[in-house]
Amino acid sequence: MYSVTRLLDIAEEDRERVLASVRSGAETTQAQHRLVEPTLPGSRNGGDVLVHLRFDSRNQWLSAADDFAAVLRDTAIAHINGATYCGTPIRNGDGAGTVYRSLLLRVAPNTDADTVARFEDELCSMPRYIPAIRAWQLGRVEDAIGTSRWTHVFEQEFSDAEGLTGAYLMHPIHWAVVDRWFDPECPDVIVRDRVCHSFCHCENAFLT
Amino acid sequence: MTDGRVFVIDRVVTKPGCARAFVDIYLAEYAPGARSRGMRLCEVLISPPLWSDDLANTVTISWTLPSVQAWWEMTWKGRPDPALGEWWSRIGDLVTERSRSVAAAADDVDRLCDV
Repeated sequence: MYSVTRLLDIAEEDRERVLASVRSGAETTQAQHRLVEPTLPGSRNGGDVLVHLRFDSRNQWLSAADDFAAVLRDTAIAHINGATYCGTPIRNGDGAGTVYRSLLLRVAPNTDADTVARFEDELCSMPRYIPAIRAWQLGRVEDAIGTSRWTHVFEQEFSDAEGLTGAYLMHPIHWAVVDRWFDPECPDVIVRDRVCHSFCHCENAFLT
Repeated sequence: MTDGRVFVIDRVVTKPGCARAFVDIYLAEYAPGARSRGMRLCEVLISPPLWSDDLANTVTISWTLPSVQAWWEMTWKGRPDPALGEWWSRIGDLVTERSRSVAAAADDVDRLCDV
């Protein structure tokens, strides 16, 4: 599958109008999975509206990309962070989730491949410890837009908002293991740029 | 039982003859900011316990925070401040290698993982 994520910063007075416009534009792309939702409180650098589209192939996205980009050229959209990437979500247990979360991050250039692999392995281990993650995917970015040259998108479907702000944040696999890659005080740090942490409501079992 | 306290442990191998200078600078420059972010200094251990111009020392500094939430709040206060990372770079001349780890009491592990 081929995924497209766009995090839109939108002038407050225009959000409802732009939301409707982007939803309409997303429908026109004929993506197999579409999510265009206001972000929830607690998102950081995550935009006001989260757009996530999943296509069968990169070519299918490319055939729709220009028209969708035109929709996003609305003058009320002040800034866009985004990425496109390949991959297939992995379900974690039988339950479905109601919150979709996307983390855009940039691994520092010149980080050696073994270190990147260890970082990716640790991110991928998190769902084993945190059942509130009902589905997930870690993708390497092909095309990035916005503040940083994003290298990875780590996305999850959570049981609910508490699963994200509670279990995910509070489990030791997060703060005592994975977080060191993001901590400028740790010598292992490889993610130095500010990340995009964005989440919104989703329909049950969105990441399939 | 430690009520879910979180320990932050800096382990620093100093260059020969640099341990005392490192500890002095750490306590004078780093510790005040760490305290303002909610960290409480437990102890500063020196191994071997002697100041020598010929030996490398391992300095182990442990801090505590009262909870995981307090640990996150500490990081949220410190992470946007570029001066923190720069401070660690600046004292690099005194240091051969270092690590930072996060720990909890063994009695707390099951509870911490049950979230």
